[in-house]
Amino acid sequence: MQKLRTSVIKETLILIRDLGGLAIIFIMPMVLVFVMALIQDSTFRKMDETSLSVLFINEDQDSVGSAIEQGLESSDMIVLNKTYEGKMLDRETLAGLISEGKFQIGIIVPAGATDVLKSKASYLVEKAFAEEDLPQPDPDIEPLSVIIYFDPVIKHSFRETVRMALGKLTYGIESRMIFDLFAAKVSELLDTESTLEYDPSGIIRLEEKNAVNIYTEVIPNSVQHNIPAWAVFAMFFILIPLTANIIKERNSGSMLRIRLMPGSYWVTIMAKIIVYLIISIIQFILMLLVGIFILPLLGLPLLELGNHIFALLIMVVATGLAATGYGLALGSIANTPEQAAAFGSVSVIIFAALGGIWVPVFVMPPMMQKFSIISPLNWGLEGFYTIFLRNGNLIDILPWAALLTTFCIISMSVAFYFLRLKRN
Amino acid sequence: MENNIAIKIDHISKTYHGSHIPAVNDICLEIPRHARFGLLGPNGAGKTTTINILCGLMNYDKGHVSINGMALEKKYKKIRPLIGLVPQDIALYETLTARENLRFIGEMYGLKGKMLKARIEECLEMVGLAHNGHKQIRHYSGGMKRRINLVAGILHRPEILILDEPTTGVDVQSRSMILEFLHEINKEGTTIIYTSHYLEEAEDLCDHIAIIDHGELIINGMTNEIVGSEQEYQDLESVFLKLTGRKLRD
Repeated sequence: MQKLRTSVIKETLILIRDLGGLAIIFIMPMVLVFVMALIQDSTFRKMDETSLSVLFINEDQDSVGSAIEQGLESSDMIVLNKTYEGKMLDRETLAGLISEGKFQIGIIVPAGATDVLKSKASYLVEKAFAEEDLPQPDPDIEPLSVIIYFDPVIKHSFRETVRMALGKLTYGIESRMIFDLFAAKVSELLDTESTLEYDPSGIIRLEEKNAVNIYTEVIPNSVQHNIPAWAVFAMFFILIPLTANIIKERNSGSMLRIRLMPGSYWVTIMAKIIVYLIISIIQFILMLLVGIFILPLLGLPLLELGNHIFALLIMVVATGLAATGYGLALGSIANTPEQAAAFGSVSVIIFAALGGIWVPVFVMPPMMQKFSIISPLNWGLEGFYTIFLRNGNLIDILPWAALLTTFCIISMSVAFYFLRLKRN
Repeated sequence: MENNIAIKIDHISKTYHGSHIPAVNDICLEIPRHARFGLLGPNGAGKTTTINILCGLMNYDKGHVSINGMALEKKYKKIRPLIGLVPQDIALYETLTARENLRFIGEMYGLKGKMLKARIEECLEMVGLAHNGHKQIRHYSGGMKRRINLVAGILHRPEILILDEPTTGVDVQSRSMILEFLHEINKEGTTIIYTSHYLEEAEDLCDHIAIIDHGELIINGMTNEIVGSEQEYQDLESVFLKLTGRKLRD
């Protein structure tokens, strides 16, 4: 026990005097969390918390054009611009501004849109009540088209948002016009002055809920997503100081001396595991503290830990063990610190990409989604999401913790094999 | 007679994995207690392999090694504390102070408390580093590092001290101090096994010499008997060159 304590003290002293290693372990992850949480904050906010600046030309100047204009203006997510530099917009200016990238979206309601809609709607109503077949509508009347210009660089999600908003509006206008014409026709047939009232709120309503445990409802936001994601990423980056430590010790001859000391070799390895596991736990706690105390000062949401702190602790220990085991394996295989650092950091980045740290797994192509399951960072991330976003308990995270622990055992077996191989 | 033998190497051979040429081939040696034994040879001769085998740090393919009459393979736990090793490289932690390094090594050997503290100060005093014991090793000069590397090997008072080129790259003063120190601890009863490329230094220090080349023992005996045994053997260097040739080694 005294040897283990001595080795732990030695490892701790070496680590705290390695300023570069400390920066990698503690400062880099916190900077990463700040930057990523701030960058991604807007994408996690509700759409009505952000707004798009849209160019708008109402050539119709009738009920359809006005209804679309009012509908768009009433939306918090869209700011309509009908003029540019004090002049009313025309089609040429609008197209030019979009193509130059000064604006990203432009909408044109063409002249005569109301007439076209009225004509088509009247035909449908008349046809419904006609006792004989009506003649086909005038083929010269072109279908009503609301034109949308998009800057090619605009993200697909924004394009979809505008298209859906506009689609919903035009569908509502069309429905209302058909409903009003029907109501008028019915009144006329019944010979009554009372008409049916159109309810713009619709019959079917959408009620959004986050599918979480019934006891709580944590709102997904950039902090809830980013803190666990980058904490897992950072925990695996301890392999850089850990591998450097192992390789330097081996190459300097210190390991040779240690192996000559009675019963010290495995104690030394065990001490490294203990120290780096504790470091990874401290790392995670620091990230949580950033999420709880510092990010809210920057206007970001507060990190909520959920109700299962013991499950969280198990996940942190399992992830720390996996990261330490991986570092130990790489440190045993690589011959130089440079080799270990290059391979280690690139492999963690690949694991992170596969594991959904940068891009959620569900948006990956199906083939890549299959690969994501081989990433230990994915297991860590899924485990933490289970706690932070789904209010999962110990039972829920056990599969992820078991996978991480198995990875740790396999990595350590590889490490011991190579340590023994290099010894002989 | 057996009681006077510190180390007995009996027909040991070792071939590294992937090589067909043995690094050590059928070597037999007896190193008396309290000897100052020089294990010499050109680069790649098999000196470090032999040292690693003696320390129990490397398996060997054939033969037997016994230390103080105990078989190395069977009694390694008992043998280990008897050996002190001063590796060729500075086997210390650069960011720890000299005292922290020695404390770590001492505690790993089971020393503790006041006894350990006193021993650390004694060792630092012996190599003239008592005033610099609080400095991190990375701030030491080459000679200071060699001196602290040396005392790290004797902190636990081993009966046998194995030194792999302990004076490489140090100034004259440090070298002189190290050699005096080795004479001193040898007088106190420590058996010294010493490898070096400095043959003059080996001739001055060692009372026994063995020269190995290509993994094989080519001469073994008392230094004064080897040097001057033939007319052309004026000094150890001439013996060495005669036996190992002048062909450059990689």
